[in-house]
Amino acid sequence: MFDVHFLQQIVNGLSLGLVYALVAIGFTLIFGVLNVVNFAHGEVYTIGAFAGLLLITSVAPPLFAVLLVVAAVGALTGFGLERLAFKPFRRFRDEASIKSRAMREATLLSSLALSIVAREVLDLAFGGEMQVIPQSYLLQTPIMIGGVALTDGNLVILGASILMLAGLQWMLYRTRTGLAIRAVSNNVLGAQFVGINTERAIVATFLVGSMLGAVAGIMVGLYDGSIFPHMGFGPAVKAFVAMVMGGLSSIPGAVISALILGVAESVATDFVSAGWKDLIAYGFLIVTLVFFPRGIFGYSRERV
Amino acid sequence: MKPLALIGTVLAVAAVTAALLLSGSSYAVQVAITALIFVILTASLNLVTGTAGLMTLGHAAFYGVGAYAAALLSTKLGLSFWVTLPLAGLVTAFFGFLVALPTMRLTSIYFAVATLAIGEMIVVAITNWTGFTRGPMGIRGIPSITVFGHEGLTVNLLVVLAATLVSVWAIWRLTHSYYGNGLRALREDDQCAEAMGLNAVRLKIEVFTIACFFAGIAGALFAHTSGYISPESFRFGESILLLTMAVVGGLGSVPGSAIGAIILIVLPELLRGAGNVRMVAVGVVLFLCILFLPKGLFGEVSALAFARNQLRRAGLGWSR
Amino acid sequence: MVAMSALLEIEAVTRRFGGLTAVDAVSAEIAQGALVGLIGPNGAGKTTLFNLISGVTPVTSGTIRLAGETITGLEPYQIARRGIGRTFQNLRIFPNMTVFDNVSVGPLGHTRNFWWEPLGLGGARAAAEREQITKSARDALARVGLSAEANELAANLSYGKRKYLEIARALAGRPRLLILDEPAAGLNERETSELARFIRELNGEGLTVLLVEHDMSLVMEICQRVMVLASGRKIADGTPAEVQRDAAVLAAYLGTEDEAHA
Repeated sequence: MFDVHFLQQIVNGLSLGLVYALVAIGFTLIFGVLNVVNFAHGEVYTIGAFAGLLLITSVAPPLFAVLLVVAAVGALTGFGLERLAFKPFRRFRDEASIKSRAMREATLLSSLALSIVAREVLDLAFGGEMQVIPQSYLLQTPIMIGGVALTDGNLVILGASILMLAGLQWMLYRTRTGLAIRAVSNNVLGAQFVGINTERAIVATFLVGSMLGAVAGIMVGLYDGSIFPHMGFGPAVKAFVAMVMGGLSSIPGAVISALILGVAESVATDFVSAGWKDLIAYGFLIVTLVFFPRGIFGYSRERV
Repeated sequence: MKPLALIGTVLAVAAVTAALLLSGSSYAVQVAITALIFVILTASLNLVTGTAGLMTLGHAAFYGVGAYAAALLSTKLGLSFWVTLPLAGLVTAFFGFLVALPTMRLTSIYFAVATLAIGEMIVVAITNWTGFTRGPMGIRGIPSITVFGHEGLTVNLLVVLAATLVSVWAIWRLTHSYYGNGLRALREDDQCAEAMGLNAVRLKIEVFTIACFFAGIAGALFAHTSGYISPESFRFGESILLLTMAVVGGLGSVPGSAIGAIILIVLPELLRGAGNVRMVAVGVVLFLCILFLPKGLFGEVSALAFARNQLRRAGLGWSR
Repeated sequence: MVAMSALLEIEAVTRRFGGLTAVDAVSAEIAQGALVGLIGPNGAGKTTLFNLISGVTPVTSGTIRLAGETITGLEPYQIARRGIGRTFQNLRIFPNMTVFDNVSVGPLGHTRNFWWEPLGLGGARAAAEREQITKSARDALARVGLSAEANELAANLSYGKRKYLEIARALAGRPRLLILDEPAAGLNERETSELARFIRELNGEGLTVLLVEHDMSLVMEICQRVMVLASGRKIADGTPAEVQRDAAVLAAYLGTEDEAHA
């Protein structure tokens, strides 16, 4: 049964899912290393979108330059976030206190506080409504491939996401920084014993995760044509759901879950009105938490 | 020196109320009503989050359930405030009970995230079930509170004040009792509490249900005093505001809840001239508080010591 | 109850984790009023057996009975209510509660603890239960000598006092069987011998005690009977003197570590 419309929904769902995946990786990396949820991750996505928009309206560089600058801004934001909301609570170096419950709850609240500040400051500066995006940058040019109507935005998201995911794999498995991140996420104390600078690995995690999140923000902003201060909440929640479904610290698990989520939401718009669509992600989350506490792929996870 | 602090508090509340009513400023009375409703909400959230240690990020949604229950019961069935108030509490408590059943085995951050998701689900349902709730348009014309035929701002303030005092009293007693010790034991180490014979799941479900009951009461008060409700008042941001109030006041501390709620309602009103900085102020205050004042303005330890003295004098048997 | 009837009966209890058999068909009886030690080298299955008794881990097969009633399959809180009090290997007190409040949780677990009681709706029964909690907690604190610190925050107590706080919390629940999990860990020699005297006193007052220890010296000093676990099996059961002469015990300890001579 070949249905063009259905295929199109799948493609849209995959682009959506890839965006969730980019955001989810940030969550997953940070959760792996520090065992905390970074509630300000959605605002990194928003900041990425606004940084890109400012660049476009002021300098108007080519798209790939916009993405590169946004990645840099994202990295910087991640660094600042780590210094402000996470570093001050890391007073002891041992694993028990780095990954303790008190730490988790304090940083959950501190990142939450910073996310409110970031969002509301953007709101004050730019107003709460959608920003005007120059027509030439909107990624909404239709492209027909075998009867499926895509936009150039689909292709940019697909291309850039796959490139970044590949880059991430290379970074994690082929570089010293990646090794350090994996080591710290496995065993903080052990990593320290073999001479890994845990602080640097933690900062690197925030840099990489925020970079991906910020680029996702600008891509979605241009694809949907909507950039506004509260845009980060939805994708952040969905990315979080993907992380939980994937088993919390598994990047492949999070990516696959994000794709499932994206496709499910996209296909569901045929059956329910757009307003109800958000229930899907929340439903997935509750079902996962209650019935599959180890994630839907059964990766081991500590029930903290 | 009987409960001097208690008498002082009562006198202060009476004095502020009298001053508000004599001032004739309907704006000030309106702010006071909002502050009181948030005192109930924060105190109930603090019972779950501060005392029993279950961080909830969806409390505003239960407040919304109460508000919609009261609004629908009064506009569709024509029930009076005195009937919708307890019903809203019970409906919300039942909702909370249903939510608590599957989620109570989750711990720490997973519970927090589950409550976030459930809260948003409730708001999505309220927003999109237009046939029942009128969706984003909200519900207008909710009848106001009447006492023996009287209505108006003064009546609203006095009724809300009375409801707040009763609610806070109940939460205060729950917190400062052996029952409260059981809740704190869950927060500290729930496995260990089980080994002492406490049924942790039952206690968690109970405390969550009770907190939802009070959120429902607050919702009914809000619906009937404002006359208009819409989904916007019950979103995630409001849940965070409530959590901030509890953290700023002091997690696990009943007087802290009241102080936190009043400060975070009144302060932004005073800052009104500086533009719409309310939420920025909330974020900044929350951040500074976690960093520099992690126990809050009126922390649990001092609140408990205070309560212990008061209750011992009253001979209520929760003390050494 | 008759003096020598069995309070705790463990019958062919087995627990497997995947391919590993942590506790292998262990049977034992603990008589009413006894002071029994359970020892074994690291990884022998002591902690698992302990968790099976207290209900934290379900058994794979076998039965455990307390005073004739089967307790396998019950939740930990139900087992606690039937009269098993315990302490933890790594000290688990409630640090942000006062000493008195910590101890009050012990008897609290044995009351009905309805939520409406604090609102004054429990009637005379609730009031009597409150009295009872207060009295049990006070008595237990007095018993371990912590009355003066009742209003201190538990986190502010010294390590040694926290150990006694934990024991007081278990005692306040008036257990029929008290299980102490490595109570001497982290204590110096003087503190250990004080603790030994205290445990013997408790036993002398009629309390049945099961002492799970890694270190043999305390057990050999105070217990009337010692059970030895190794690789999940019970390899010896007898008086300290008998156990010390047992070839299998010596082999188990010498084969793994030399703490047997400590």
